[in-house]
Amino acid sequence: MSWLSRLNPRGPGSRSNRSAAPSSPCTADPETCLMVFENHWRQVSWVLEQRDTSSFSDDLTAVRNNTDQMLCLLAEERPAESADSGSCGAPIGPILELVITENILERLVQWHVRRGLDPDSQGALLKLFEMLIGQSQQPLLQHTAVLHPLLRLLGACADPELGCPPALENSLVLLLNQVCVSMARQPVVLEMLFHAAPAQQGSTNLLIFSLLVPFIHRDGAIGQQARDALLLVMAASASHEAVARYIAENSYFCPVLATGLSALYSSLPRKIEVRGDDWHALRREDWMGVSSLVLFMNSLEFCNAVVQVVHPVVRSQLLDYLHNGFLVPVMGPALHKSSVDEMIASTAYLDLFLRSITETSLLRTFLRFILLHCHDNDTILDTLLTRISSNSRLCMVSLSLFRTLLSLNCEDVMLQLILRFLLPCTHVMLSQRRAIRETDMYGKSANKFLSLIPECCRLNAAASAERDEDNPFWSKVFETFIVIKTIEKSVNISTPPRHSTPSRLSFFMRQQSGGGGSGGGGTSTSTNVDLLQSGPSGSHPLSPDSPKHQTHTEAFDWDAGYLEYLKDARRDIELCSWACRDWSAPYDGENPSPNTSPPPPAPPSSNPSVTLFPEHFSFQREGNSNTPPNQQREEAAASLSSEQQEEEEEQRSSALDQKLTDVRGDGSVMGVCSPARPLNQPASQPYTGPFMVVLFAKLENMLQNSLYVNILLTGIVAQLACYPQPLLRSFLLNTNMVFQPSVKSLIQVLGSVKNRIEAFAASHEDFPSMLRKAQQYLVARGKLDWADSPAAVPPLRRSDSLIKSRKPSLGDLILRHTNSPTRARHAAQLAFAHVRDGGQSLHSALFRGGSAGTSSLEKQAEALRVKNAVYSAVIFCEFLKELAALAQEHAVTLPFPQNQEAEE
Amino acid sequence: MFCPFYNRQPDEEQGGHADQKTSPARTSHKKHLPPIPKNAVPITKPASVGTPSHLANGTHASYGPFYLEYSLMAEFTLVIKQKLPGIYVQPSYKSALMWFGVIFIRHGLYQDGVFKFTVYIPDNYPDGECPKLVFDTPVFHPLVDPVSGELDVKRAFTKWRRNHNHIWQVLMYARTVFYKINTAEPLNPEAAVLYEKDGQLFKSKVVDGVKLCNSHLFDQPKVDDPFAISFSPWNPAVHDEAKERMFTFKRRPEEHHKGAQVSGLSWVKPGSTQPFSKVDSPQS
Repeated sequence: MSWLSRLNPRGPGSRSNRSAAPSSPCTADPETCLMVFENHWRQVSWVLEQRDTSSFSDDLTAVRNNTDQMLCLLAEERPAESADSGSCGAPIGPILELVITENILERLVQWHVRRGLDPDSQGALLKLFEMLIGQSQQPLLQHTAVLHPLLRLLGACADPELGCPPALENSLVLLLNQVCVSMARQPVVLEMLFHAAPAQQGSTNLLIFSLLVPFIHRDGAIGQQARDALLLVMAASASHEAVARYIAENSYFCPVLATGLSALYSSLPRKIEVRGDDWHALRREDWMGVSSLVLFMNSLEFCNAVVQVVHPVVRSQLLDYLHNGFLVPVMGPALHKSSVDEMIASTAYLDLFLRSITETSLLRTFLRFILLHCHDNDTILDTLLTRISSNSRLCMVSLSLFRTLLSLNCEDVMLQLILRFLLPCTHVMLSQRRAIRETDMYGKSANKFLSLIPECCRLNAAASAERDEDNPFWSKVFETFIVIKTIEKSVNISTPPRHSTPSRLSFFMRQQSGGGGSGGGGTSTSTNVDLLQSGPSGSHPLSPDSPKHQTHTEAFDWDAGYLEYLKDARRDIELCSWACRDWSAPYDGENPSPNTSPPPPAPPSSNPSVTLFPEHFSFQREGNSNTPPNQQREEAAASLSSEQQEEEEEQRSSALDQKLTDVRGDGSVMGVCSPARPLNQPASQPYTGPFMVVLFAKLENMLQNSLYVNILLTGIVAQLACYPQPLLRSFLLNTNMVFQPSVKSLIQVLGSVKNRIEAFAASHEDFPSMLRKAQQYLVARGKLDWADSPAAVPPLRRSDSLIKSRKPSLGDLILRHTNSPTRARHAAQLAFAHVRDGGQSLHSALFRGGSAGTSSLEKQAEALRVKNAVYSAVIFCEFLKELAALAQEHAVTLPFPQNQEAEE
Repeated sequence: MFCPFYNRQPDEEQGGHADQKTSPARTSHKKHLPPIPKNAVPITKPASVGTPSHLANGTHASYGPFYLEYSLMAEFTLVIKQKLPGIYVQPSYKSALMWFGVIFIRHGLYQDGVFKFTVYIPDNYPDGECPKLVFDTPVFHPLVDPVSGELDVKRAFTKWRRNHNHIWQVLMYARTVFYKINTAEPLNPEAAVLYEKDGQLFKSKVVDGVKLCNSHLFDQPKVDDPFAISFSPWNPAVHDEAKERMFTFKRRPEEHHKGAQVSGLSWVKPGSTQPFSKVDSPQS
């Protein structure tokens, strides 16, 4: 209800302040006030009595001046002491009593209306009523003597002939807003408004409501006030079935709101001007400056708020309109635009919308659209999936969208993306099915992941040669962390101290049992030990500037390095399994049963309707299009030739041509087709779904991906690896699992990347120094991003920055070891500024060919290729550690019980 | 690919402790109590900097200390998941290789017995021998050494096989011996003979043993460890609240932010694998 709470432009607080201040000369004595009031009224009523209206402006002026005074007095009047007032109802002050008995306001308004409302007096009346309602000490609107003249005035504003001049719109909306605020405070008023109105104003029951609707999508304060006011009506409707029905059946509220979004969407920029090569998602600071986007977001936020407070009748109508009036006719086509810029923009918008929505049912509407709605025979999801394989910014934006989708921990999304393909369990050998539920009890999988860290990335092999060699695990973890340590401090660590093992089990156990579990929870409560301080693992390296970090020992550092991965993995898995606790099934290979679950959708090649798109096409940016990776070129050739053997050859290749033409039409990119799997594969082959296929294909190609693509990509795979569902967990993290030959495993993909990195390193003798520099850059960058981000996180719910998504490896983890945040920040900013300038930067100076001047196109392309490969090596190693930590943590995570009752 | 993990027989997991093959008579093992640093009591200090040395010595084989620790954590997680009736364990504060436990016997000959025990896990776990289980007070039982209190676990786990055998099975076995008494090749021949020959006397000895054990229930733990299990008489001021907390406890993620929406979304009807198959609930 945050929206409601920050409404009330004139809350009770400010009002009491105002009354305390001596704003009027006659606040003191009620009797004097009444006398003054009567005096004014006498003069006014004399004018009002003049039947033959000679429209002398003197009259008008006199009436106005007196009215001003009178209404001020009325507003200032406090309710009478309960002792001496009328027997029934709230005790009312003498002035109000006079107003009621003499029907003063009604007569005033009638007089004005009869003599013809000129904009001037109309505005004056609006302001007067606004002041009266906003500041009054008494619940004025509960009295028909106040309510009816108000409605009469508003009726005049709604009058098609008279209407409300644009100049008065502000006053009108402010008044309406005030009315809604008091209505929210006094539900009786809503009732009265609803029933009193017809008598006054014919057709429209809720005059206030219909007056506000046109302002829903307005810019600026007036729009905000209108939306605030409407929201109050909506909230009030939640408990008034009749009002809700009226809104749903007799008003244009829902269609206006939904189609208004469409109109606002159409004025959004078709192309997003991006700053920096890492841009991949709209953050608040990105869109705050784009007025059309601000406007849209305000309205979307309003929709979200309405859905939150409104009666279910109105809500379901609104959601229907949003689906059929905005998502399907507007978002659908927008996402299928053929120009890459438009694809990028619409994908980024969709991502932003999803991140901004907080209401479950609104989210459901969006997700339903994405998962089920078919546009040109493809679901929106399928379309979005194909774009991951592109090699441009489109890929990053799409990855970002998928990261958002995954972060919802939504069963329906996961089912469509991956689980339905794994459900039949055909991807594993029959004998392996029971292993699906196994976890990595003894660290075998973790060890396997860590063993894939390429030899060439263990820079300090020499420095750490004297370590005992019979500890493969530690040699690996240790070396990679030494790398980071070395980067940070430019100090070589000579001999690592012998590690000692903290008893983390006790620490762990306490967290796990906590009283809920059956084993061992019983006594732990009495021995309440602050375990956070009990071991090196527990000496929470949360704040990088804690004294701990200034005096840390090397032992602590490299130990804590992997511990950080473990810690993050535990947190992420816990949060994920907590979020998944209400899913309909455990997805453990038995429930849902592999036999009864419907066969998964076949690979696209066997489905003509889907083959309209090549499953997988990739864009090469102009910069490196001269040297497309050989591998990719071969794959592309192979796929093209295999495609020609297909029966529907013509259709397909024309579709492909079409696609390529579309792509070329954009000018800046050039398409290369590289399907993730042979298109002529029989449909009966096990298939893990387009999402896994495209992710793995992209992952296998890590060396060619840009740094930022790799960060996002590995982040998404890690995100997937957090899911506790055994089907998914075993598919990604169980390295002992034997899959069907047609199914690629993550470990295979990673093995292939490892080989490529090693081959690359072997062919570049300066690889070690480049690697070190790349790490330096990433450390600097991590520091900067970190320094910029804390607390300044935009209020969007799941807002993320690039670095946050890879926090364990690149951001936090590295920075934790910073001695002085400020100094680090300065250094980092310097380094970073250079990079952004694109001049003689740390970044580009690292690599041959990167320096300005001598740059032939070829050299630039080669430099880019080298740069990508070196960065990918850094990311790859961190990624392996992350996966190893996830595998280990899964073995020690307890499932959460189902949600018995609603949580908070 | 080498994967012994997945070749095991389907029912072996359950059958582990029931596997009561006779094993050659052997001398009772001497316990190797891990050395406990005298100064480890102040808990606020990062005690594990001075971790018991046996850990560091023991884990040099082929598994890093993280693997060992995590294997034990995983074992403990399995114990919790099993929800063993009447058995509570709690790893030691100082060493992951030592678990304190207590077992409540609810019927049978040993009814009302409350037996505290300690599990010692070999430091080359999971490749070593099976863990040892030693009762704090030697229980009068054919399979419990009358001097050391050690339970003959080995007969049930002649060879400890990683992936097949788990610590919860040892705990389960320790419970089973009190309900189904086996006298073959006893560690306590007196108890075995009595059980076979003079049921009444055996029974009275057991009852005495249970009484003795229970009379020492409130004794301070023998091991100086903050996580050692200790009993105290019911004190409403302390225990009522603790009990209340235990009953109302709901585990949440450690870093569960109140504001963050992490409630998992699902509109899948149970039993269906179609997205949005659930009929619209009022909530959505």
